[in-house]
Amino acid sequence: MRFLCAVLVALPAAASASHAQVDYYARVGLTGSTKLARDRLIQEIEVRPGLAPTLALGAAVPFAPNYRAGLEATLTTSGYEVRELGTDSDLGTLRTIALVLGMDGPIVGRIGWRGGLGLIRYWPGEEEGLFLQGGSTRFLVGGGIDVRPQVMRSWDLMLSLRYDFHRFSTDELESRRFTGSQGVQRISATIGLARARR
Amino acid sequence: MKVRPGLPILSILATGLSGISCAEIASPSRNEVYEWRLITGNPAGTVDTLSFHWPRSRLPVRVYTEDSLSLPAYVERGLQSWEAAFLYGEFTAEVVADSNLADIVVRVGLPSKAGFSVGIKAAAPECEGETELDLPEGSSEIQPPIRVYVNPRFDPSAPEVGECLALTVTHELGHAIGIFAHSPDPNDIMYSDPVVSELSVSDRATAELAYHVAPTLTIAPR
Repeated sequence: MRFLCAVLVALPAAASASHAQVDYYARVGLTGSTKLARDRLIQEIEVRPGLAPTLALGAAVPFAPNYRAGLEATLTTSGYEVRELGTDSDLGTLRTIALVLGMDGPIVGRIGWRGGLGLIRYWPGEEEGLFLQGGSTRFLVGGGIDVRPQVMRSWDLMLSLRYDFHRFSTDELESRRFTGSQGVQRISATIGLARARR
Repeated sequence: MKVRPGLPILSILATGLSGISCAEIASPSRNEVYEWRLITGNPAGTVDTLSFHWPRSRLPVRVYTEDSLSLPAYVERGLQSWEAAFLYGEFTAEVVADSNLADIVVRVGLPSKAGFSVGIKAAAPECEGETELDLPEGSSEIQPPIRVYVNPRFDPSAPEVGECLALTVTHELGHAIGIFAHSPDPNDIMYSDPVVSELSVSDRATAELAYHVAPTLTIAPR
């Protein structure tokens, strides 16, 4: 949280020093995810991350009138659990970082769209269980909607909804003859500050 | 207000994603399990099937090791092997310094045979091992600690005795985590005269299954 506060405080200072065309922002919020894996050992077993506090940082540059290309990094950290017969058991901490190269443009008024492709990396707190052979990096595709009402002369409030999708597996699951991969969908809701585009 | 062309792009993206998101990971069959439960006879002529696994509420299981014949290193390795058999944190253990606090006690020697116990033996030419469960007659509650004994049959400093002790410790810890029976396959660490030093696919699959079947035995609080 201290790091996040430092980022938010540092942003206005950085604004004056940066090129006027660069759009950059920082947001915080929550991310929910569908299950990472399913198994059947007598009963159905599901592994699922908890609701994850989220930090998103991004920057974009215009490449056409009203359109920008940029990079957005999203960090999450949460617990993850295994569910069997309706009982959840804690499996530890799971962090992710997603890097998405994408573009954004306007929809209507101060509402804009965003979409892109990138990578997501899973970092478990402990290399054990389905992460016994380490974390996992997967391709990711996502998009979302941003709302940016003006709150200060140089800064907009930025409210964002994001959806992304990737297919999850790990080296350990593959070595144990799990086949295919699990489609994982994530939705995040975040709020933050963005440098005004005026 | 004018709607910009970005909205159709977003809807196409969402439609595409919903189409590819349904496929799920497929788990393996795990056919290669062996019987892990201990089937015992009793004076009435009937049989009883004894099965056990450590409940999540007792994890991490506390293990005490006698500091002799490199036992601490063998126990550390054996526990890591068994922990790695599981995908979902079904079994974890920690080494403790006080045997009075331990759920499992590992020592050099042979069991005293005091009182009623269920003993599970493994024997190799160089060393032997036995796991002793204190299960009072008529009870389905094991009294902790579960005691593991390993015993060299020759000069303990001989390399082959060290190797034997290492794999026998892993084998006996397999009994202590709930694999009460022996595998019929010499490629498994739970074969009665173990010769392999690593867990096989069958060992892992059997351990996984044992921890997802309701046990017939419980363990008393320590």
